[in-house]
Amino acid sequence: MDPVFRWIESSALSVWTRESTSLIAYPAILSAHAIGMALAAGVNAAIALRMLGAAFEIPAVEMRRYAGVAWIGFAINAASGMLLLIAYPTKALTNPMFYLKLSLIAVGLALFVAVNRRLDQWTSTTQTWIGIALLTSWGGAIVAGRLLAYTYRRLMAG
Amino acid sequence: MVRFQMWLVTVFASVKPMARLMHTAWGWPLAESLHFIGLSLLVGTVGLFDLRLLGLGRRIPIAAMHRLIPWGLAGFGINAVSGIAFLLAEPDQYVYNPSFHVKVLFIAAAGLNALTFYLTTYRTVTVNGAPVAAPPAAKAMAAVSLSLWIGVIIAGRLLTFYRPFPCQPPEPGFLATCIPGFHANRK
Repeated sequence: MDPVFRWIESSALSVWTRESTSLIAYPAILSAHAIGMALAAGVNAAIALRMLGAAFEIPAVEMRRYAGVAWIGFAINAASGMLLLIAYPTKALTNPMFYLKLSLIAVGLALFVAVNRRLDQWTSTTQTWIGIALLTSWGGAIVAGRLLAYTYRRLMAG
Repeated sequence: MVRFQMWLVTVFASVKPMARLMHTAWGWPLAESLHFIGLSLLVGTVGLFDLRLLGLGRRIPIAAMHRLIPWGLAGFGINAVSGIAFLLAEPDQYVYNPSFHVKVLFIAAAGLNALTFYLTTYRTVTVNGAPVAAPPAAKAMAAVSLSLWIGVIIAGRLLTFYRPFPCQPPEPGFLATCIPGFHANRK
């Protein structure tokens, strides 16, 4: 894979993201990734907490109104995450933690879509378990994401 | 102010057990993970309440939406504890960091904004039979709250890019954004 990593690392976009001293390069991308995380994981947490019985005065199905906010957060993070990956492809793709993070996001997203489609058909027991799974997958994705900074073995291939 | 900052660093640095705990293999990554979980919880609850005040999700009574706020406070609590852990472990990396100054200012402003909300329009928007739409004053405070918390996240993320280094002469002015090193102590 090293030739591929080196090819990505030497692209203009990768070099700019990694080496530009401009605040709108790496610092802005990291900030956007944190804001997107707060929106995506935060809204999912609120939906999950409601499913677990918190704030029961809120009609559970009405939490769907805020699904768009989570999608906006997810879109911000798909874009900013892609830029971070282009900046340091070796760092992420040689770290098993990165694949764990992506898997947890995939599970979280699948659950989120299912909740938006079928919440009203579920028994309260099902809601409880899905709520726990939703919290676990998004919380796990955050932890795995944070650990990326501490667990990588190679920074760059070039 | 510089003297106050130096005094703060001395006080924080004197809490040795926390620094020792934070510098173990798992201390820092664990506190960071909790800090990001806490911020998501805060934005996911307080942020949604702000959006409700601004008119998103009108079928949910504002009072019902407010039931999420204790979870936001829990998130803030997680972040206050993990944040203080960072501060005690590496005080000069925060006390002299301009991005940290902005972050603390924004958190304080968000606190004042919330206090103003509870002292003014909170009752009228959550009372039984309150209108679906919040008054303009409540909407304004919701917009301020959202902006400030996003500002707090940005200032927090920018901390690493404004890491303070030992001061070069001349001495820092009113507020030090570099570490007043040996030549400051020599006076």
